[in-house]
Amino acid sequence: MRLMNLFSRRSIHMNIAIAFSCLIVCTTAILSFSSYRLSSSAVTSSSIQKTSQLVEQVKINIQTYIGNMESIASLVISSRDVMRFVDATQADRESDESLKRGASQYLRSVVQSRKDIASILYVNKSGDFVSDQSHAIMKSKSEWTQQDWYRLALTSSEEVVSPSHVQHIFEDQYRWVVSISRKLPESDRSQEGVLLVDLNYNVINDLCRQIELGQRGYVFIVSPSCDLVYHPQQQLIHSELKSEQMQTVLDMREGSIKLGKAEDSKMYTVATTSFGWKIVAVTYPDELIENKHQMQTSAALWGVLCLIVGLTISIILSYALTKPLKNLEMHMKKAERGNFDVRVDIEGTHEIGKLARTFNLMISRIKELMNQIVQEQEMKRRSELKALQSQIQPHFLYNTLDSIIWMAESGKVDDVVEMTTALSRLLRSSISKGEELVPVSVELDHIRSYLTIQSRRYRKKFTYSIDVEDSILAAPILKLVLQPIVENAIYHGIKPNPDQGHIQIHGWREADSILLTIADDGEGMDPEKLRTILMDKPGVSGGTGVGIANVNHRIQLYFGQDYGLHYESEREEGTIVTLRIPYMEGEVKDDGKNGKMDVD
Amino acid sequence: MMGKTVKWTLISLLLTGLLAVGWSGYRTMSHTLHPKKPFIIYIPKTIDPSIEFWVVMQQGVTMAAKEFGADIKMMGTETELDVEEQIDIVEEAIRSKPDAIMLAASDYIKLIPAVQQIREAGIPLIMVDSNVEVDLSNSFIATDNYEAGRISARLLKEHVKPAEKIAIVSYIQGTGTSLDREKGVRDELGASGYSNISHTIFSEGQVQKSYELTRELLMKEPDISGIVALNEPSTVGAGKAILNLGLQSKVSLIGFDNSNSEIRLIDRNVIQATVIQRPFNMGYLAVKTAISVIKGQKVEKMVDTGSKVITKYNMYTNENQKLLFPFEDELPEK
Repeated sequence: MRLMNLFSRRSIHMNIAIAFSCLIVCTTAILSFSSYRLSSSAVTSSSIQKTSQLVEQVKINIQTYIGNMESIASLVISSRDVMRFVDATQADRESDESLKRGASQYLRSVVQSRKDIASILYVNKSGDFVSDQSHAIMKSKSEWTQQDWYRLALTSSEEVVSPSHVQHIFEDQYRWVVSISRKLPESDRSQEGVLLVDLNYNVINDLCRQIELGQRGYVFIVSPSCDLVYHPQQQLIHSELKSEQMQTVLDMREGSIKLGKAEDSKMYTVATTSFGWKIVAVTYPDELIENKHQMQTSAALWGVLCLIVGLTISIILSYALTKPLKNLEMHMKKAERGNFDVRVDIEGTHEIGKLARTFNLMISRIKELMNQIVQEQEMKRRSELKALQSQIQPHFLYNTLDSIIWMAESGKVDDVVEMTTALSRLLRSSISKGEELVPVSVELDHIRSYLTIQSRRYRKKFTYSIDVEDSILAAPILKLVLQPIVENAIYHGIKPNPDQGHIQIHGWREADSILLTIADDGEGMDPEKLRTILMDKPGVSGGTGVGIANVNHRIQLYFGQDYGLHYESEREEGTIVTLRIPYMEGEVKDDGKNGKMDVD
Repeated sequence: MMGKTVKWTLISLLLTGLLAVGWSGYRTMSHTLHPKKPFIIYIPKTIDPSIEFWVVMQQGVTMAAKEFGADIKMMGTETELDVEEQIDIVEEAIRSKPDAIMLAASDYIKLIPAVQQIREAGIPLIMVDSNVEVDLSNSFIATDNYEAGRISARLLKEHVKPAEKIAIVSYIQGTGTSLDREKGVRDELGASGYSNISHTIFSEGQVQKSYELTRELLMKEPDISGIVALNEPSTVGAGKAILNLGLQSKVSLIGFDNSNSEIRLIDRNVIQATVIQRPFNMGYLAVKTAISVIKGQKVEKMVDTGSKVITKYNMYTNENQKLLFPFEDELPEK
């Protein structure tokens, strides 16, 4: 609910932008984080995996070398030349030089065939020996009997692999080798002896040195007796500038372990060969952490970049989406302030386009209606003015006054009184309070006064009668609608006719309407005149025509198109005008006399 | 209409700006993650590949460069005697504006102006093995040569009685290391009442010269029963002279440093003992110290890499083997 409130208060533009932004922020955050997590764990595990694979590879290589040496040792022992030397008695060896020469030649051919063998030597307990180097001088027995390869071989039934050392059994020879030695047991013919195969240390050295483990990582090999077979920083370790966690390594058979504190921590990955050497890869986890930092940074940066782009797009998109709405809203505001000339220019078939078209339609309709109202108001105003103008024309007044003067001169006092009274009434009702509607009775009083005056002026020219139902006397009627009709009947119907005429006014109620007829028996009208009499064309018939049309117009404006005047006329027969207005119960203020008045 | 164009221009400008900021941020970050390797120039006394001491020191330098991520350039003279050339090399090194210079001075006095130039250029200076008279370095990494001299004298005392005559074979006159060692020898012997010391002879760092001069001296003064030779060529030359004259049972020889020739002489009991340094450690520690100086860390003014006594009886221990017999492939062909 609160969320809805949050949304309803802001503009749509804002809401869309916020929604998009939230979506983008969440998505980018989740994606960045998960991609970082995935790649960082991938890097860590792949580095551990790679290291253990490397270590395994080194182990296999070294085992292969040592295995080769062992098989060469077996080969040598089983060879005829060597066996003959081994089995010979001391006396034979001293007397027969060829025994030693043959064995030595054989050994030399084996050594020369393989680059990784430094030398092969057989020596027995009494110090008789044969090696591939026929000219080398062996050092005194006391020097080499203390060496590991000899000492350990005698106490063991298997091959002994001595760690890397400088082989110094011959004068002036100092070669780095790994020794593989084997006891040849005492037999009935021969003494106990030892066969030594020296492997070029370079082989192992090269193997380990070329291994790259990150920037600082390296491989070292340690023998079970804790002697370093290979270590790139052996000198630093001997002088205690550096140290390795030897005990931990020796206790491990294989696997990885992380040792040391945060920044100095090292990862030891160990593999053990069949003869006990431990191949150890040392890697630095902080190199991985450097990678991690890098990944973190790049993930964050890409995240921020995506965010910026996404946010910008969302703002632009929401702007584009809501722009037509804003446009529409702006136009509606204008219409609200009364400007109906606005038109919204929104193309397209989408909802807002439809809305805009409907709005345009509505505005134009309103504008039409407004214009109509303005026009009608204007016409009403004008016709009222005309009605006022047509009430009493100055000529009528002069003529009436002239008639009164003439009557007074001829001493017709009663006539003067009657005439003056009628004029007075006429004027009073004309200059009334300006209401539009008056009761029928008032209108009838007015027309009576008018007819009195006119009948006096045109002495005996016409007679008139008014016969109106009592039920409609109180009903409202537009003011001064009868006078122009009666005037028209007198001037255009009665006056041109040489005979005396009669004007009859008759009024009654028919359903919801009031009908008033003004009939004269004068000249009548030709059809052309009859057709145009209700048309609002000034000057067609000298002023009074306008009056008739105006009356009709006023009635129709006020009561609608169903009401108004109807003319029936025949030449030489007369004219009947029917006036129709709706019957209304409404109270109209009565300021004249009610009742019926018949005058001759 | 105008407003709209302006708006779009602003939006695109903003976008471009943000992109630029992002990119530069990324660049700075990756730059801090992958800082440029420090560039260090290493000037040994000689780049002669036949002198094991400097070759092994170079191995230490290379090892440390890999471990600490430094870019090392080695510049040096063909022989240890070429002092003028080394001065030129130092000047050239200054011009290439390294982050640090590691120098083994081939002369105790003559290199002072060159060393001063390094200081004036504001380049951190690490002296290795041999310093100059005026110590201007950030750190001096070497064997304590005076102490080494005393040790060699102590070894000699085991073989020679105080009244017997003793000779000293030094190498280059004026080199800091030789001066310190000789002083150490003389002080130690003097303090123990050995007063019969003949004048010092100089081999100029050449085996042949040492051999000739020692042989001459031994023939001229047959009462000599002890010799201290202060560096490797001097020791080998002196040993060869003793061997040549067949005096190995009569004359005791204490040497310095090591080589295969020396080891053969030890095996044959011509040399009774040799005092060896740790050139590998020297090179390694020099780079390590240089990196610390570049990083602005505090370093020891003087680092003693120590010395070690080698005799016929301890030369094949695991530790000493590695010191005495560098792997063949690590040394250039002789």
